[in-house]
Amino acid sequence: MSHNDEIPAAAHGYIALTPAACTSCMLCVRECPSWCITLESHAVQTSEPGARRPTTVSVLDAFTIDFGLCMFCGICVEVCPFDALEWTPRFDYAASDRSGLVQAIDQLSGSGDQR
Amino acid sequence: MRTVESSRWWEELSALAVDGFTYLDYLTAIDRGTHLDLVAHVVNPDTVEHLLVVAALPGDSAVVDSLVPLHAGANWHEREAAEMFGITFTGHPDPRRLLLRDESAAPPLRKSTPLPARVDTPWPGAATAGGDDAAGRRARRQLPPGVPAQWVAEGP
Repeated sequence: MSHNDEIPAAAHGYIALTPAACTSCMLCVRECPSWCITLESHAVQTSEPGARRPTTVSVLDAFTIDFGLCMFCGICVEVCPFDALEWTPRFDYAASDRSGLVQAIDQLSGSGDQR
Repeated sequence: MRTVESSRWWEELSALAVDGFTYLDYLTAIDRGTHLDLVAHVVNPDTVEHLLVVAALPGDSAVVDSLVPLHAGANWHEREAAEMFGITFTGHPDPRRLLLRDESAAPPLRKSTPLPARVDTPWPGAATAGGDDAAGRRARRQLPPGVPAQWVAEGP
């Protein structure tokens, strides 16, 4: 990633996910014109101290972006209410087959070496 | 922009050519849902004036005179409009398909022609936040924006 210095920070290179900020609201999945995002979640009951009744929250189980389908329009980044998706200048994620372009939480959240 | 009757398509464009609009820039169509708009863009090369000429065609019987005898450059434009929108250009000297191989395929740029990728692919947005069992009930079924309901593949 030696050329990253020359690429603007908000370049449409790669869409990164911050899993902790994602509420599994599905807005990005539903707005995506390319249908390239999938999201799986399950509901969990939580009770805050002092709350009158427990609340139901969605917990993110799986999130994928198929960059073989993505057209890099950025609508998902725009609609995300909690900025869990953001553009990053990363570009070196070519794959030798189609399945390699389907990026899951591990890759999207940059728990590897990217960014 | 000038709107003309489709029955007078040839006459109007001939008259415009006499008036100096001798260059046909492009010819295409637009599916308005209720009808097709046939669009020609003509230019007067001396004055650089240009004009959009539009004629409404009924979708189920889209037939219009070919402009090829008037503008030779209309040839490929009309062949493309013919296969993409299902328009018949009467008097076209070479009405073969231009881009599409399949003779039997429905005109792909008609809004009524289903897009196979949208019919065959389950919409990922059909999943419910929190899973289908969220709060013990299934949320109202959502439909993908911009896709006619009858195209949408039924999920499990």
